[in-house]
Amino acid sequence: VRTRAIGWALAAITFACVIVNQRDVGIARDEVVYMNAGSRYADWWLHLGKGGIAATFGGAPGGSNNSEHPPLVKTLSGLAHTVLHDDLLVMEQFVFHATPFVIDDLTAYRVPSALLHALCVLLVFTMVAELWGLAEAVIAALCLLLLPRALFHAGLDCFDAPIMALWFATVFAYWRCLDGRKFPWQVGVAWGLALATKHTALLLPGALGVHYIAIAWRARAPLHRWRVIASLAVLGPAVLFLLWPWLWLDPIAHVRDWIGFHLHHVHYNYEYLGRNWNAPRFPWHVAIVTTLLTVPIATIAAAVVGVAAGIARWRRGEARDRERAPVLLLALSLVASMGPFVFGTMPIFGAEKHWMPALPTICIAAGVGAAWAARRAAAALREWWPRVEEPLARRIALGVVGGAIALAAATETATAQPYALTWYNALAGGAPGGADLGMNRQFWGVAARGVLPVIAREPPGPVYTHDASPAWGWYQHLGLLPPGHGDSGWEVAGIRGSKLALVIHERHFNRHDYLVWDAYGTVQPVFVLRADGVPIVSVYKRP
Amino acid sequence: MLGALSKRRPPIAALPAVLLLVIAAWETCATRRDAGAVPDDVAWDRAAAIVRAGYHPGDLIVFAPQWVDAVGRLHLGDLIPIDMAARMDAARYGRIWELSIRGARAPDTANLAPASEDEVDGVTVRRFEREPAHVLADLRDRLAGAKVDGGAASLELAEVGFAPHRCIQVTPVPGRPVQITFAQLPLGTSLVGYVGLADVFTRRDIRAPGSLAVEIGGKTATEVTPGVDDGWVRFELPTQPGNADVTFRLGADAPQRLICFAAETRT
Repeated sequence: VRTRAIGWALAAITFACVIVNQRDVGIARDEVVYMNAGSRYADWWLHLGKGGIAATFGGAPGGSNNSEHPPLVKTLSGLAHTVLHDDLLVMEQFVFHATPFVIDDLTAYRVPSALLHALCVLLVFTMVAELWGLAEAVIAALCLLLLPRALFHAGLDCFDAPIMALWFATVFAYWRCLDGRKFPWQVGVAWGLALATKHTALLLPGALGVHYIAIAWRARAPLHRWRVIASLAVLGPAVLFLLWPWLWLDPIAHVRDWIGFHLHHVHYNYEYLGRNWNAPRFPWHVAIVTTLLTVPIATIAAAVVGVAAGIARWRRGEARDRERAPVLLLALSLVASMGPFVFGTMPIFGAEKHWMPALPTICIAAGVGAAWAARRAAAALREWWPRVEEPLARRIALGVVGGAIALAAATETATAQPYALTWYNALAGGAPGGADLGMNRQFWGVAARGVLPVIAREPPGPVYTHDASPAWGWYQHLGLLPPGHGDSGWEVAGIRGSKLALVIHERHFNRHDYLVWDAYGTVQPVFVLRADGVPIVSVYKRP
Repeated sequence: MLGALSKRRPPIAALPAVLLLVIAAWETCATRRDAGAVPDDVAWDRAAAIVRAGYHPGDLIVFAPQWVDAVGRLHLGDLIPIDMAARMDAARYGRIWELSIRGARAPDTANLAPASEDEVDGVTVRRFEREPAHVLADLRDRLAGAKVDGGAASLELAEVGFAPHRCIQVTPVPGRPVQITFAQLPLGTSLVGYVGLADVFTRRDIRAPGSLAVEIGGKTATEVTPGVDDGWVRFELPTQPGNADVTFRLGADAPQRLICFAAETRT
């Protein structure tokens, strides 16, 4: 019971951290699309199909109904907005004739992602506690909670933290269902939910399939736990179908459109090691290097120790849960998530968010490695001071080692926010070091929120909002901008009609600076927003 | 007692934990140090004051590393005309101010020795002086009088290789080169130019290179084929002092090649 309570407490802390952190995070370009679509999806379900499937979920991929992404998280965020914002306000008015508790529109939409991130921490904790122990579980969960970029992504109404959670939920459920239960429905449902979240869930059967073959071969039984595979094969697609009304009409064509969209996705610009990449073949090491520079170094070091400890145990025949081979499963999960990027043809523009499902494996290895190292140190401590009792020595060692790793990760996480896409870890030299290395500065226009107070102080006039254009109406709606600072429009026409212009700094956006120079007759901005000294948004004022 | 202590060697078993502690402690300190490692506006104001005190009209001001350019322009942008920021190269500037952080150097000052150097709270201010290139003719200034065949040419402030360049831009129809002839152009000892493909999005979507050939007095003197990842490509050819017709022939096998070039004749 105590262990379970600790897991829930860590999950609750994770949820609170995400919700508090996201208050200062700007609105991502894609979020606006997902929020709009999510509200329509939620209305459709709440009103039992009112408006029709095609009008709500349909249309060509890339259209306003966002049919290129499955609906689960969008629907949940729409429902969350309805319940936590709209309905809550009505209820409060009814009860108190006032609205003492207000969850703002944006936060309400972001709640499901935060909850799923908390779920991921809980599942990591639970699996590690069962397999290795409480100390390992606490450290692994803390490492996952204190991942700067993952915490950032979890605070957006997007699919990246949710797919990490539901990918890991599938791995967890698969492992649990290998216990021989008669109806292993959990794994099929979990994979179906993952499929209904993001297309990258389609990579999971690769990992699970290889793992299944390995354990079946080891058991010398080709049909070993066959119900697990049947659950995946039947319930996974069924759940996806059930949750995505667009598939109820012409399912084969719509599945083909969905997958085809991502197989032929445009390659957005992405800066990596000093070069702008926007066409394959991409460097084989993008996922590896980016992960090494965006996960706290202490976490990576502990994970390396964990892998070494795991190999040592395996060689001594002491591997945990040998029949279900969870270590192999976790390793395959990481490979399935990151591996495709080695081939140089997968889009890399979203960086670590594209392979976030690899992170639980790294954090679990870190938890195992840190606890293993601490226990060995405790044994050494007793050799020096035999009077120290073993449980005390172990607690001290676990507290010091685990605490130091968590402190390092917490420092990185606190430093990274709210511009975590500009942040890189201490190995890179922080945000400035990342800029020196020519690593991607940011994406999605999120940082524009940081210049809103500067814009608000200026006299009213049209603003060239650059990559923040989709979010501009939201910023006005949230009261972050006074009236009179409307969006002046796109590109050259928008700049010509503007009084103020902002340019969000990414390498391929340099041209927007030059367009503004040409229109305003000056190269001098009036304000430059920086993250740890690295420019992320410039504001120009027409002379 | 001493004998007993000497037998107590640090057990190797504790090494992984010690390593993790050292790494975690280093990361905790380094993260905060890195976050405050970039000079702030007060430092930049002080550095800018040094430049303003010694500034002569026409001095070139550059910043390094490139990523801090926006901060540099925030503090000294009023001394940087657009055409200076969008220069062809730095050869025509006799005095260059370089403001740099983190030990970086600007490409424009490579191989130059500073005439003065000051360090202000992490911003290094260097002044370079040298004999500038003597420009006889800047072809961008003569575009209005040039003869253009096979298409249109315009003077643009373009992004080429992710940098600003004021350049003559042509978008040839595939297989039909555009010819721009500068009649009786005054020549010195060399013709120096640069060419590249403008616009990151057309470079992404169409991967074919463009081409530029320079003819002097009816003879092809050089040919360049700028590709999508080549940036601002330099070419230089020796010339005989005097006047001659110089033709630039720009072509492409693919559509939407926004070929942009600049050139000067120099002595």
